Amino acid sequence: MDTSNPAVFVNAQLIPNFIGKKVRTVVQVSQCDGGVATAKSTDDCQLTIKGLPQVPLMNYIEVIGIAESNNSIDAEIWTDFGSTFDTFSYNQLCQLANGEFKGLFL
Amino acid sequence: MTNTSNSLSFSLSRVSKMFSGSQFDATTAFSGGGFTSSQPSTLNDSSPAPSNSRETPGLVPVTVKQISEASQSGDEKSNFVINGVDLNNVTLVGMMFEKVERNTDVSFVLDDGTGRIKCRRWINEAFDTKEMEAVMNDMYVRVYGHLKSFQGVKQLVAFSVRPVTNFDEIPFHFIDCIHNHLRSKIKVEGITSANPSSGSSLETPVKSAPNRSQASNPVCAQHSVDGLKGIDKLVMDYLEQHSDRSDGRGIHVDELSRELKLPIEKIKLSLKTLADDGEIYSTIDDDHYKKA
Repeated sequence: MDTSNPAVFVNAQLIPNFIGKKVRTVVQVSQCDGGVATAKSTDDCQLTIKGLPQVPLMNYIEVIGIAESNNSIDAEIWTDFGSTFDTFSYNQLCQLANGEFKGLFL
Repeated sequence: MTNTSNSLSFSLSRVSKMFSGSQFDATTAFSGGGFTSSQPSTLNDSSPAPSNSRETPGLVPVTVKQISEASQSGDEKSNFVINGVDLNNVTLVGMMFEKVERNTDVSFVLDDGTGRIKCRRWINEAFDTKEMEAVMNDMYVRVYGHLKSFQGVKQLVAFSVRPVTNFDEIPFHFIDCIHNHLRSKIKVEGITSANPSSGSSLETPVKSAPNRSQASNPVCAQHSVDGLKGIDKLVMDYLEQHSDRSDGRGIHVDELSRELKLPIEKIKLSLKTLADDGEIYSTIDDDHYKKA
């Protein structure tokens, strides 16, 4: 059993708190060129995702990777969540998981 | 203590609203796992507490982090405890890694983002084999299982593993973990706060003795003998005393406020709590209540 390397639930607003750390987020891909994707976070901000292969545009993609800067993530694992996803609940979860219920996640 | 309970209740209602507002349909999403609503998934649905006054809920949504912090109440055969609640069966959602298939079992590691836990699914019949063929590495799965400790290492003996097909199930599961955590915390604190002298209140909740005298000011008393909050107890007592009214309309909130000399907001909050717990019900409208 290992809890030494958690992936933190983040939206764009929370990424700056975890630079250099492992994070997980869901984004909607709007553009994808040669391994670098431009995408919208669940809190409606623009993020750059590196290391992402060609994925269907406008699909929701979960990315697990290292937060490189305030608005970019280097993807290690990605999962295509399809064309519909409840971004509101996910965004609320990000806030809860980094707020009063941090102890359940980190 | 009052502030803690209030903030917990607020958090619980906030998380509950998220459940109701979500597009995710839990009924259909969970139908593949072989567990229906007949199997309780939260504390409120579970059967009465066993003699040791600790509840054993049916199926508890947890994170690997929570499991890592769970303590064992006794020897290796005893249940794990989270928030003073005995864990029996748990459910997790995460990514499957290191899947190894053998004749008798399939082992794998489940990573839910908070940590990794080893899981084993015993293969007893064709159905088990078929179910495990449907899941593979790097795939999101929901696991239902039983927590075990083997040589001091916590592991999960899975009795159902199925792929996640609706990805809203992932955030839903984690919100469910928070929701369940809050419910059990409120429940445990509700039991223990009547007995502040007990040292490890979260580990060993003790119901207060039936002959314990109530505080002189019942409104200020946080919890009464039966675990009800002060105002809830007053409201219940009043409804009970006037339950024989022939008109069947029940008691109006204004009457409760007037007779108990309490603000109407507090009365309404108490009525909502009691109604949610099934202790009372509204009659002709949302302002008239009777004891269930």
